[in-house]
Amino acid sequence: MKLAFQLAYKNLVGAGLRSWLNVGILAFTFIVIIFFNAYLDGWNLQAQRESIKWEYGHGQLRHQDYDPLDPFSINEAHGKLNTPLSENLTAVLIQQASLYPEGRMVSILMKGIDSDQKILELPTEAFAKSDANIPALIGKRMASSNKLEVGDQLLLRWRDKNGTFDATEITIIEIFETDVTSVDAGQIWIPIERLWNMTGLKGEATYFIASEKYSHSPVDKWYYKSQAELLKQLQEIIEMKSASSSILYFLLLGIALLAIFDTQVLSIFRRQKEIGTYIALGMTRWQVVQLFTVEGSMYSILASIVGTIIGIPIFWYFSTYGIGMPDYVTQQDMGVTIAQRIYPAFTIGLIMGTIALVVLSATIVSFIPSRNIAKMDPVDALKGKVQ
Amino acid sequence: MEPIIKIENVTKKFPEGEGEFVALKNINLEFQEGEFSGIVGPSGSGKTTLLNIIGSLDQPSSGNAWVMDKNVAELSHKESAQLRNLHLGFIFQVYNLLPVYTVFENVEFALLLQNKSKEERRKAVMQALEWVGLENIPNKKPSKLSGGEGQRVAIARAMVKEPKIVLADEPTANLDATNAHAIIQTMKKLNEELGTTFLFSTHDEKVMQYLNRIIHLKGGEVEKDEIITAQNPKS
Ligand SMILES: Nc1ncnc2c1ncn2[C@@H]1O[C@H](COP(=O)(O)OP(=O)(O)OP(=O)(O)O)[C@@H](O)[C@H]1O
Ligand SMILES: [Mg+2]
Repeated sequence: MKLAFQLAYKNLVGAGLRSWLNVGILAFTFIVIIFFNAYLDGWNLQAQRESIKWEYGHGQLRHQDYDPLDPFSINEAHGKLNTPLSENLTAVLIQQASLYPEGRMVSILMKGIDSDQKILELPTEAFAKSDANIPALIGKRMASSNKLEVGDQLLLRWRDKNGTFDATEITIIEIFETDVTSVDAGQIWIPIERLWNMTGLKGEATYFIASEKYSHSPVDKWYYKSQAELLKQLQEIIEMKSASSSILYFLLLGIALLAIFDTQVLSIFRRQKEIGTYIALGMTRWQVVQLFTVEGSMYSILASIVGTIIGIPIFWYFSTYGIGMPDYVTQQDMGVTIAQRIYPAFTIGLIMGTIALVVLSATIVSFIPSRNIAKMDPVDALKGKVQ
Repeated sequence: MEPIIKIENVTKKFPEGEGEFVALKNINLEFQEGEFSGIVGPSGSGKTTLLNIIGSLDQPSSGNAWVMDKNVAELSHKESAQLRNLHLGFIFQVYNLLPVYTVFENVEFALLLQNKSKEERRKAVMQALEWVGLENIPNKKPSKLSGGEGQRVAIARAMVKEPKIVLADEPTANLDATNAHAIIQTMKKLNEELGTTFLFSTHDEKVMQYLNRIIHLKGGEVEKDEIITAQNPKS
C-alpha cells in the first residue's frame, strides 16, 4: 500500500498539467463545499442564537388553537392558564389590528407582553419609562416599511372581545434591531395590561415564553414546544431554503469526479504497456488495480491539501468579517431569521467530513475503471492491444 | 541435472475468426541453468508466444511448462507474480521503461516489490547500473536516454534482483550494430559471472553469434535445435 502511494504520487506529478487540472477542479469543489456548509452552519447558529434571544426563550407553552403559520385563527387562539401563573412563564397575547400611518391602512398583529419580562431581548423596560397612553415597540423592518420613527403617534383600530371596533393613538417609543423577522415585520409590541384592557381579555394569553427554570408538566388545552423542538423547526426551514443551493455543489462534485473518471479511463487505456510491465516485473493484477485506484484518490488527497492551504485564509477572512447579506434579503420577511452579516462556521469536523467525502468519492470513481485491469491479459497489455 | 525450464508437449492456440490459430505445436524443450540460448525464426513463428508462456504471462492451451519446478499452467495470479518478481527478468524489444521514474527508480522497482530495505536497494541498483555502464546517470529520465542506454537500463532492471532466468524478446531489434554488440556482450558477461540463464528470441545475426544454443522455430514447431560449440565470436 505504501508502495502504491509512492508510485501513485510519482505518476501524478510526472503526468503534469492534466493532474493539476484535476486537482484544481477538485480543490475548488472542496472549498465550495466547505464554504457553503460553513455558511449554512453559521446562518443556522446565528439564527438559533438570535431566535432564542428574541422569540423562543427556553420554550413556548402555546394555546391549543395557536398556529403561528395560520393568520386566520390567531385572533381566537387565546385563553387563561387554569393553574396559578408561574413566574417562569411570560405571557404574550396576540390580536389583530389596523394601523394608520400617513392615512394608509396596514393590517398588523399587536402583541402584548409583560413589561417586566427578562427572557427576551425585547426592550420592554422602555414601557415603564414612557408616559404615553399606549407605548409601542417596533422593529426596524416595521419602521422602515411604514416610515415610522421614535415619537410618532398613529391611529390604531381593533375589535374587543365582543367584536366592537375601538380606536386610539399609540406612540412609538423605541425601535429595536433584530435579525428575527418574525418579531419585527408587520407587528407592534405593547404592554400586555393595556392589551387586556383594550380587548377585555384580562389574564389571557396566546402563548407563554418559558424561562430557563421552567419545567413542563402537561396542561389541559395548552401544548408545549421545547426550545429544542422550536430550533429544529428553524433548522428545517433553513435546510429547505438551502436545498436548491446544495444541488450546485453536488453538481460541482459530480463534474470533478467525472474529470477523474475520464482521466482514469484514458490513463488505463494509454498506459497498457506500463500495466503489462508492472505485471512482468512481478506485480499482481490487483496490486496494479490498487496502484491506479490510489492514483485516482491521490487527486483528492492533493486537492484536500491544496484546498486547505488556499482555503484557510479565505475561511479565516469570512469567519472574521462575515458575509454581508443584501438588504432585499434581510429587510423582507423571508419567513426565516437571517442576519445582516453571516459569519460562516468553519469547524474541524466540517473540514474533516468534507475531506472524507471527497477522498471516498474520488476513490470509488477511480476504482470503477481500474477494476478492469484485473481482467486484462498481460500479453495483450504489453502489446498495447487491449480494447 | 534438473532442467531449469522444461517445456512438455506445449501447444498454444489463439481464437481466430470462427476457428483457431495454432501458434505453437507440441513443443518439447529443456533448458539447463546457465544456458545462453536463443529462439530464432521468421516473424509469426511463435517466438514471443513461447517466451510469454515461460514467463508465466501466458498459459499453454495444452501441455506443461515447468519453470524452476513450477508448472506455469497451475500457478495462481499471485504465485506467478511471485515467480516473475523473484526469479524472472524480462527484456523487451521496446524497453518499456516507466516514463515518470528516473533510471535509478526504474531499476529499483523490482526491489520495491520485494520489500528490500533502502540501503539494500541502493547498493543493488548501483551494482546493476555498473554492470551496464550507467552508474553515472542514475537520475536521468527515460525520455532523455538514447536507445542503447534505454535498453541497458532495461537490462539493469531485469538483472538487479539477480534472477535465475532472463527472457529477452528481440532486445536488439531497435539498436544499431555497435549498441547491439555492446548489449549482448554485457548480457554474456553477466551470464558468465552470475550464471544467469538467458533465453532470447531474435532474428538478429549479431545476437546469434554469441549464443551457445539456437532453437529454430517455424510455423510453431521446432525445426532444429542446434548446440554451438564454444567459439570466439567476432566483435
Ligand atoms: N493474442 C493473439 N491472438 C491471435 N493470434 C495471435 C495472438 N498472439 C499471437 N498470435 C499469432 O501467433 C503467431 C505467433 O506470434 P508470435 O508473436 O509468437 O510471433 P513471433 O515469432 O514473436 O513473431 P515476431 O518475430 O514478429 O515477433 C502469429 O501468427 C500471431 O499472429
Ligand atoms: Mg515476437
